[in-house]
Amino acid sequence: MIRLLLALVLAATATAASAQPLLDWTEEEVRSIGRHGPWPPPPVRDPSNRVSGTPSGILLGEHLFNEPRLSGNGKMSCATCHQAGRDWSDGLAKAQGMVELDRRTPSLWNVGYGHWFGWDGAGDSLWAQSIRPLLDAREMNGGTERVGALLRDDRAFACGYEKAFGAKPGNDNERLLVDAAKALAAFQATFVSPRTPFDDFRDALLAGDRGAAARYPMSAQRGLRLFIGNASCNACHFGPRFTNGEFGDVGIPFFVRPGEVDSGRLGGLTRLAESPFSLLGKFNDDATGENARRTRHVRRLHTNFGEFRVPGLRQVGRGGPYMHNGSVATLEDVVKHYSEVNPDRLHSDGVPLVRPLALSPDQSADLVAFLRSLDADVPPRPAAAPLCP
Amino acid sequence: MRRLFVALVALMGATPALADCPLDLGRGAGWVVFSDHYMIAFRPDPMRVEVGEPFALVLNVCTKGGDPAELVAVEAQMPEHRHSMNYKAAIVASPNGRYRAEGLVFHMPGRWEISFDVRAGEESERLSHDIILK
Repeated sequence: MIRLLLALVLAATATAASAQPLLDWTEEEVRSIGRHGPWPPPPVRDPSNRVSGTPSGILLGEHLFNEPRLSGNGKMSCATCHQAGRDWSDGLAKAQGMVELDRRTPSLWNVGYGHWFGWDGAGDSLWAQSIRPLLDAREMNGGTERVGALLRDDRAFACGYEKAFGAKPGNDNERLLVDAAKALAAFQATFVSPRTPFDDFRDALLAGDRGAAARYPMSAQRGLRLFIGNASCNACHFGPRFTNGEFGDVGIPFFVRPGEVDSGRLGGLTRLAESPFSLLGKFNDDATGENARRTRHVRRLHTNFGEFRVPGLRQVGRGGPYMHNGSVATLEDVVKHYSEVNPDRLHSDGVPLVRPLALSPDQSADLVAFLRSLDADVPPRPAAAPLCP
Repeated sequence: MRRLFVALVALMGATPALADCPLDLGRGAGWVVFSDHYMIAFRPDPMRVEVGEPFALVLNVCTKGGDPAELVAVEAQMPEHRHSMNYKAAIVASPNGRYRAEGLVFHMPGRWEISFDVRAGEESERLSHDIILK
């Protein structure tokens, strides 16, 4: 009898040890978690870009993305900074163009789903944003004529252009620059990050599958509860991409050099208003003007000074350094920043959106565990098909 | 969100003075805000407001005395955080007497207070309404 009891106790203990517990999630929490999916979303179709989602436009964009002849010195392509093997960034604190820049190279994961582009949102479409580094003397320093000449004079690119746009490249260099950027955008919009352990947990939780949900590590569950609860990270890191796509000041110093500041969104809105390539201009392929609603109604506020785009958090643990200026080295340091941020720096009138969270070491580790559950391994990319075999 | 929608038909049936000022904006749902002098009926377009997604408001502005009333401005802010929208709504008057406020975006979940500046003759007033966005 005693042996039988002992065996039952051992069996019960073994069962308890093998099953991971599940936090007692409230209905409200489940609803909040649900807003971070489903993943992946439907493929991007940008009405302002007539080659968005087209195989020939995407293929032309892939070849252009890897083409160093687009740069002034013939050595730099988009892929120099946005490297596939580094999650479409470069691992550097400051981007390196023709000179070292003041901001970090942002990852391009899921970039096609955004509505403002660049750290300051100076681009209102992915194709408009793709023009900037081509022309900027500090970045690729390519120039409009160089892009036009490549599409006209290189036999493979001319053929690829005709397939994508249905006509041979003409003599209007500015038009060819915009079309090249639209092909680049079509390619970049295919960078959709894979499903993650968080997505499996989210779907299981919503489906009421407690067994599947319990496979999500407890530390990540506790971190998620902080993320959507006391820490309120989801006020800005909202939705399936974990960003509301807007801008915020999170207490990162805005001086880039003594006496010189990066005004962030404030300057971005000035550049947007001055750009001939915005969605309010003649290059928008959407005749309805519907997709220009944000551009038409956005306003410049004094609070935009020092604000930068809220980055999405998918694949966040694979990137770094962090923040717009690469000033924070690791994900652990990012959590430390939010735990200890100086409230005086943030000048908030009401309940501050960013405040020192004063996290314990265990809470910090949980938050990091949750953020790392937004990462997924990426299969190697096959080589691009020839433009015109 | 849907809990906040208020059925209007019963309210209108009990207010004969407002016969020329219908507060039912169609689809049988929306909100009504009122003061001593004004009543405003409005509904979003699309009906479901999503965080970060542009939407419009379709509005009807009335005075309780039956005088013509004008919608001057629509604004929204998060009172707790004391920040407004990043976008400025534009108001267009329709030939049928209704208004359309275009270009609103609530870029965060939480409580948003929409304010309406209305005017009838020399008198103007601000009315407001709260929406909880999740």
